[in-house]
Amino acid sequence: MSEVDMAVIKPEMMKSYIWIQTMDGAIQQVEQEVAMFCPMICQEVIQKGMGSSKNCAISLPQRVSPAMLSLILDYCRFHQVAGRSNKERKSFDEKFVRMDTKRLCELTSAADSLQLKPLVDLTSRALARIIEGKTPEEIREIFHLPDDLTEEEKLEPLKNTTDDPRIRLLNRLYAKKRKELKEREKLKDVDAEEEHVDDRSVDDLLSFINGGDGDSKGIKTSKNKKKNRKRKDLQKCAPSNEAIETPKKESNAASSLCHNAEVDHELQSSLSEKLKLQDAAGEIFAPTVEFDDVDIDDEIDPALKEEIDREVEDFARILNSDWPERMQELLSLGQERRLTHLSVNGNGALKGHASMPSFPL
Amino acid sequence: MDTELDRISSLPGHVLDQILSVLPIRDAVRTSALSRKWRYQWSQIPQLVFDTQCASITSPDQTIVKHYLVNIIDNVLLLHNGPIYKFKLSHRDLLGVSDIDRWILHLSRGSTKEFVLEIWKGQRYKLPSCLFSFENLTHLELFNCLLKPPSAFKGFRNLKSLDLQHVTLAQEVFENLISSCALLERLTLMNFDGFTHLKINAPNLQFFDIGGIFDDVSFNNTSLLTLVSIGLYANVKNDRHVSRGSSSKLLRFFVNLPHLRRLEIQSYFIKYLAISKVPSRLPKPCMDLNYISIRINFNDFEENSAALCILKSCPNLQEIEMLGRPEEQADVEPQTGFWGDDQWKCLFGQLRLVKIVGISGIRSELDCIKFLLSNSPVLEQMTVKPASIEGGWELVKELLRFRRASTQAEVIYLEP
Repeated sequence: MSEVDMAVIKPEMMKSYIWIQTMDGAIQQVEQEVAMFCPMICQEVIQKGMGSSKNCAISLPQRVSPAMLSLILDYCRFHQVAGRSNKERKSFDEKFVRMDTKRLCELTSAADSLQLKPLVDLTSRALARIIEGKTPEEIREIFHLPDDLTEEEKLEPLKNTTDDPRIRLLNRLYAKKRKELKEREKLKDVDAEEEHVDDRSVDDLLSFINGGDGDSKGIKTSKNKKKNRKRKDLQKCAPSNEAIETPKKESNAASSLCHNAEVDHELQSSLSEKLKLQDAAGEIFAPTVEFDDVDIDDEIDPALKEEIDREVEDFARILNSDWPERMQELLSLGQERRLTHLSVNGNGALKGHASMPSFPL
Repeated sequence: MDTELDRISSLPGHVLDQILSVLPIRDAVRTSALSRKWRYQWSQIPQLVFDTQCASITSPDQTIVKHYLVNIIDNVLLLHNGPIYKFKLSHRDLLGVSDIDRWILHLSRGSTKEFVLEIWKGQRYKLPSCLFSFENLTHLELFNCLLKPPSAFKGFRNLKSLDLQHVTLAQEVFENLISSCALLERLTLMNFDGFTHLKINAPNLQFFDIGGIFDDVSFNNTSLLTLVSIGLYANVKNDRHVSRGSSSKLLRFFVNLPHLRRLEIQSYFIKYLAISKVPSRLPKPCMDLNYISIRINFNDFEENSAALCILKSCPNLQEIEMLGRPEEQADVEPQTGFWGDDQWKCLFGQLRLVKIVGISGIRSELDCIKFLLSNSPVLEQMTVKPASIEGGWELVKELLRFRRASTQAEVIYLEP
């Protein structure tokens, strides 16, 4: 070891050394003043009197591998010199953390176990810089994170097992949306002839599944409408409205299709699916508010209306094409709560979306 | 296989907290979509910072912007799970809306230690009374706020640092606030209204930085105060008749600052200190003072006397900075012979650095420079920077002539 060599070559320097044992059993000598920069080692020497000879070598925590120890000692060796300027130290730090993320994580862990706070700060900031501004997929790739959130969990970053007022809010919102959907179809019956058949099937579909639900929910929505009149402008101007509208329609149908007593759960999932479409966890930063009780029935601008109509038609077409088979499957499979993926058969409208409301398959 | 490669998720919780705390809030929240382990990791970070960078939306309609921001903060607060030690709200587009009351109420139920609120535009935001029940507060920073604590308010027992800028509070509110926060160490006060007498009764105060318009400043029980920076932003009319009877403001100012180390006299504060009789020297010298900076009108007799009095009473000064007020100096009849008078001999045994800025080359300025040069045997550097190019050459000629007590001294002329 170079330290030992130095001790032999320059005996007049009288550097004291302490003995350190890493987790692989190897014992080495380290300059005392360098090693004492680490609080944990310092503690061992002062409080327990360890490290003075090979027999009582200070054994380092598991997380400090020999390679990491070497890096940490380099850091300590530089910084324990008193005369360095802030600029020098900063420059050293910047160069020091340039390493692959795997080693950076290991170094953070090792520094933390030695209680070397300045180094932990430095490496934490470096890791944060890596994370900043990247999408979840990118981050998962860099850090080899398992993609182990179930679709459901990915879609709902919020855990709502209790009777959360937001769930009630969501229910009302969806009820309103469903009502709106129905009304829109009714309106379109007046204008468009070709779509007439499709709309009616969707309409029938909904009423067939919902039974009396649609109506009762409809009553609720009108109450809400009065309350939220003043919040209308919010929905109007939100740029990503179109994207939201589409999945909501589909999920409405989805939730209605699933014979399910736990309506809350379905709505939640359908909402979550929408969330995922716009980057789940970051959803709360999107201009449009899912949790808002927004009155959308009247004041949507024409461009938006067209979008909505288009999406409805698309969806209706899909449903109608697959419907006979699906109905069979659904009826035979009965009431399954868990939603799984809907595999889309190359239908243009649905392709754009990363995930869809699932039907029990 | 993946768990073997995934090193970051196995870092200890406090380290992950640290990483997430350094991230902007948006990125921190997004980590909940990474993996099972990360799902709720962000919700425990102990600090929440909502500033202009964290979310921006451009829209001509202020209501949209407001709703957008309010929505974000509402959601983050709801999803957050754990103590919030630091909360900062400083978004350019968020006015003093009533939603802030709601958030402060939410925080008051926890143990927030640092609270920063900056209302960038609009009128003063009136803080809700629940703010005054923050038991664990150690740092409070407010910008553009109105403080009206409830009558039962007994002070922030743990407050160490207070930063109030563009605030409104009543005189007694201010005095109570200062005297009831016994642990207060740092006080910053800029551009305030509602009170004009600064009675500072703070036994632990070390750092004091104020700038504003006030009538009076007095320190009481402030023996730990080491750094004082005061700027009086209004020109004090020196009414001789009124001030004759009252005691010297200069004496009163220094009497309770025995351990002062750094002093900055900014704007018109030297004029305030010059009110009423200025002694030739302070009764007790400021032995600890090693840095002083004075903004001065070199043509004003009272200001010059006050400055000289202070300088003569600080034998251990290491660094002096004198800043001229050139806009004023042109008006008055130039004073002569003030600093050049040989009886003003005093020794600056430790003085190493002098900075003279904003001068125009008039007699009293040159005399002052000469005075400093001839009384500082260990001076290393003096820099002189005039206010304008005019007369620069004349100034340099004069500077060349001056005798220097220190053989090591460099006199450097800086371009304006």
